Amino acid sequence: MQTVLKAMFSCQEASRLASRAMEVPLGPLERRVFALHLMMCTGCVNFSRQLELLRSASEKLPEKLEIEDTDAPAT
Amino acid sequence: MDDDGKPERVLTKHRKYLMQYALFHVRDPSVAEDAVQETMIAALAQLHTFEGRAQLRTWLTSILKHKIIDLVRRRAREIPADALSLDGDYDASDEAFNLIGRWKEQPSDWGSPDAALESRQFWRIYLECCKKMSERLATVFSMREVMGMSAEEICKKMEISPSNLHVILYRARLSLQSCMTRNGFGANRA
Repeated sequence: MQTVLKAMFSCQEASRLASRAMEVPLGPLERRVFALHLMMCTGCVNFSRQLELLRSASEKLPEKLEIEDTDAPAT
Repeated sequence: MDDDGKPERVLTKHRKYLMQYALFHVRDPSVAEDAVQETMIAALAQLHTFEGRAQLRTWLTSILKHKIIDLVRRRAREIPADALSLDGDYDASDEAFNLIGRWKEQPSDWGSPDAALESRQFWRIYLECCKKMSERLATVFSMREVMGMSAEEICKKMEISPSNLHVILYRARLSLQSCMTRNGFGANRA
């Protein structure tokens, strides 16, 4: 089976697509297979949202270090 | 300048912050120390070009970013090529998925992103789990997510292929996600 079609049923493949989509747009077939998977799988929907959250957190990290710096001594 | 002291004194005030920033990207404290040291030297030499409109800390951080990337590249050249193969990195997939590729434990709903980002618990676990990534995963992950470099830029700087980059970032994200789950983030949600 083509790897891209595996993503229909495999969360491992689908989560790989979710991660790759954070860097590059997925191909048309990948996008469709991924969307289908998400319709059936709450776990992967949550995983995709978690990746977005981890990205927002990383973007805010420099601010966060700044706050810790003034707040409390680092351990 | 935001201080009455000498330039050296002013720069020193930011040292701890720069060290924390560097440690987020490289695990080895002596490498982080080197990057900060080189940043201080470069900053002193270029202080006259600093216009004061930007925050001093922002300016220092942008110098530090370049120093970190330089150091990481230099180190990568010193390490034999096979030591850089992907097999050395921790791969969380075996623990996360069963034999047919389904989640062993379904990722849970982490709730509203804004609420999470306001939560002390979230940040504590996030920082803790970032520290557990292997150095190479951490470096590439933070080049992408903290420094906001494009995928293309990272491949060029680190001399890796796009597919290598995807594997590294996937492993980094999955290890972060599963570490946060293991440490109970999102566990008390329905």
